[in-house]
Amino acid sequence: MSPLRRFLRTPEAVAGALLLAMLIAMALSASLLFPGDPQAIAGPALLPPFQDWSLPLGTDRLGRDVLAELFHGARTSLAVGLAAAAAALVVGAVVGTLAGFAGGLVDEVLMRITDAFQTVPSFLLALAFVSVVGPSLGVVVIAIALGTWTGPARVARAEVLSIRERDYVAGARVIGMHPLAIAFREVLPNALPPVLAMSSVIVAAAILTEAALSFLGLGDPNRVTWGGMIAEGRAVLRTAPFLSIVPGIALVLTVLGVYLAGEGIVETTAVRRGLS
Amino acid sequence: MTTLASIRDLTVTYRRDGNEVTALKGVSLDIAAGERLAIIGESGSGKSTLALAIAGLLPASAKVGGRIDWFLSSSGAKAPPSVLPDISPARGEITLSPLPSPITNVAEGERSAKLLISPLAGEMSGRTEGGVTECQPFKSELNKIPRLGRDIGFVFQDPSASLDPVMTIGKQIAEVARTHLSLTWSQSYARAKSLLERVRLPDLDSALRAFPHQLSGGQKQRVAIAAAIAAGPKLLIADEATSALDTIVQAEIVALIRRLVTEDGMTLLFISHDIALAAELAERIAVFRHGQLVELGMRAQIVGAPAQPYTRALLDAHIGLDTRPLLNRARLHA
Amino acid sequence: MNLLAVSNLTKRYRRGGKTIAAVDDVSFHIDPGETLALAGPSGSGKSTIARLVLRLIEPDDGRIEFESDDFLALSGAALRARRARLQMVFQDPLAAFNPRATVARVLDDPLRIHGIASRAERPRRIAALLERVGLTANLAPRAIHEISGGQRQRVAIARAIVTKPSLIVLDEAVSALDVSVRGEILELLLDLQRQEKIAYLFISHDLGVIRSVAHRVILLDAGRIAENGDAQTVIGAPQSAIGKALVAAAPRLNRAGP
Repeated sequence: MSPLRRFLRTPEAVAGALLLAMLIAMALSASLLFPGDPQAIAGPALLPPFQDWSLPLGTDRLGRDVLAELFHGARTSLAVGLAAAAAALVVGAVVGTLAGFAGGLVDEVLMRITDAFQTVPSFLLALAFVSVVGPSLGVVVIAIALGTWTGPARVARAEVLSIRERDYVAGARVIGMHPLAIAFREVLPNALPPVLAMSSVIVAAAILTEAALSFLGLGDPNRVTWGGMIAEGRAVLRTAPFLSIVPGIALVLTVLGVYLAGEGIVETTAVRRGLS
Repeated sequence: MTTLASIRDLTVTYRRDGNEVTALKGVSLDIAAGERLAIIGESGSGKSTLALAIAGLLPASAKVGGRIDWFLSSSGAKAPPSVLPDISPARGEITLSPLPSPITNVAEGERSAKLLISPLAGEMSGRTEGGVTECQPFKSELNKIPRLGRDIGFVFQDPSASLDPVMTIGKQIAEVARTHLSLTWSQSYARAKSLLERVRLPDLDSALRAFPHQLSGGQKQRVAIAAAIAAGPKLLIADEATSALDTIVQAEIVALIRRLVTEDGMTLLFISHDIALAAELAERIAVFRHGQLVELGMRAQIVGAPAQPYTRALLDAHIGLDTRPLLNRARLHA
Repeated sequence: MNLLAVSNLTKRYRRGGKTIAAVDDVSFHIDPGETLALAGPSGSGKSTIARLVLRLIEPDDGRIEFESDDFLALSGAALRARRARLQMVFQDPLAAFNPRATVARVLDDPLRIHGIASRAERPRRIAALLERVGLTANLAPRAIHEISGGQRQRVAIARAIVTKPSLIVLDEAVSALDVSVRGEILELLLDLQRQEKIAYLFISHDLGVIRSVAHRVILLDAGRIAENGDAQTVIGAPQSAIGKALVAAAPRLNRAGP
């Protein structure tokens, strides 16, 4: 059975993939459906949802279109989530591979650095980094990656330690391959599956961290973010709760979708490895 | 010569990544009680699948056709006849099983339907009407579905994988004895100790308390053999049990198996890729290739006058201490 | 002139506070085009010697002279370049290759690393290598795990001869193969030896195979040399205790028990 068919037979994976597809569609169509500035005033302030069909989800305190904000916010969430997770996975895999493959002093130094990062709560680290450098999309991505690369690094190192002893690594040395080529061409690709298995959790966590930073006002001020929308709605939580609830639901569904789809991919590839 | 097990038309198919792989094709074979039978073949010959099928260890996803009938004497069967289906080795055997038979795994539905009535009905119909009821006496003779551990002992190739790494070896052996012979723990430990003595493990008292990682490969295989014979099985299956060991330890283990089988009157099924090793131990040799039984005969006939060209080829490929060296032949060519 | 001269080689391991010599003061030499076999029970140190000679592990003591150079003095790029002359074939050809590799990539690596052939020329060289070891060129794009065990070991031999080595270490290279395939692989190795004057360090537990293909044999016991000499003479009439035990334990077709 092909991995795709096996994936499609797992209901939660399909549900996750649909949610994720919806999110991607929202992000891609945002500037087509809502070409203007989502932060421009579109109507009367605090219009509740489902009252005016030109503004289906109503408006916020300043009269901005909530639906347009939601679509543009999807872009930020997705971009930051994916970029931060990718950065964390790449840095983690490289550091873990170098530490595991080189051993000795290199391993010792790299792992102590990893320890240092791991002892600081990752959200605190992100908070401190953004406060110091100043909020922008790139900085937020780095701030999130800073706190999450340690997990992949540890997993990669453990995997590399076992792969290092295999015959084919000895075989690569015998034909005179450079140690760095052995580490990154022979060892790393085979150490990746368990590292990639963490990606769904990391992406989901990155999206939540981004939302939390925005909620605290440390997101990129020039972009609409769901976290920012929730923070904005907090001031009128009693009178207009939908302003916080709508982006909150979007956030929950996105994290759920990423997680379910990611787990589905991991499951189906794991089954294939188990059989072969 | 009485028959212990009768294998008829055994076919085993595995599903792998959507493809069906036939591991055994229509194999029929009788195992005589008390004999030493070797199953030899190269990789992909189906010899290990046969061992697993006889022991009832095939994965649930395997499709099994044909039947295995057992002729276990009632003296050896102390436990109640009810058997959990998943440990029943009699996948193809449906004559007497009171349980919903695993024969539903068989590919051809009509065939299993016929078998479900009774395979004896066909044989009996010539003599009596309504063979099903008439064949009752046969049922008590062909009495029990064998149980792995109690009636069948199984020794695997890799003893490190078949022993529990966090349980003392004394307990592992005692547990088999306790489970199948309804002994108390202290009786079971006493039995474990005498078994370790029989497999010639040095320093019995510390060996009982040792963990597998403290033993050498040969010692671990001795422990695995002790566990396999702990309940006094009728049949001992050794599946490449010496292949992971060096030559000297291999010879010791083969001698040990031979002695134990003789002392206890066990039937031995010795699965091996090595025809010379099989010839040293077995009385009869069955040669397998591509899932089929190529040739079956007494040791002297197989080694001395093989009927099949494949058996001949296997014998010719053996490089023994008296074979003409390839190096000398090469020198002649040069 | 010896191709490989090993003197007083020693490798110790620490296990549970005790120091065990896996290889204890071992000296031997190999001449060009010669097969020297190492035999012994498991734990006798034969595989450790193979790994020391290949510098996959470093010795605690001793000298290794290869092609008249101090092989232990080489390091970095010089060592990697010299590795072209000293190759290895492993026991399990599936474990010896990257599980993601194809046949072509396995053979491409040494060609590229040692600059033997240009990128454009490599496919032709790979096809020629496959034919040299009795395979067909259309096997090149196949994944390593898709081909049979015998084919895999032929690919391993092809990889070992890419760089025109003078010595190949064969670590139980035919032990995991089916008997029908084993004979063909041994023939191929002897053929290569005759044509390319390659020397073999042949590690095996099987005295029958050693007697069949090796010129000389060293019998090891607990890391020390117990006996050495002409392979057929030593195996025909072993003098050491371990030699006698190994010969007695070898399975024989015409020796049947009761």
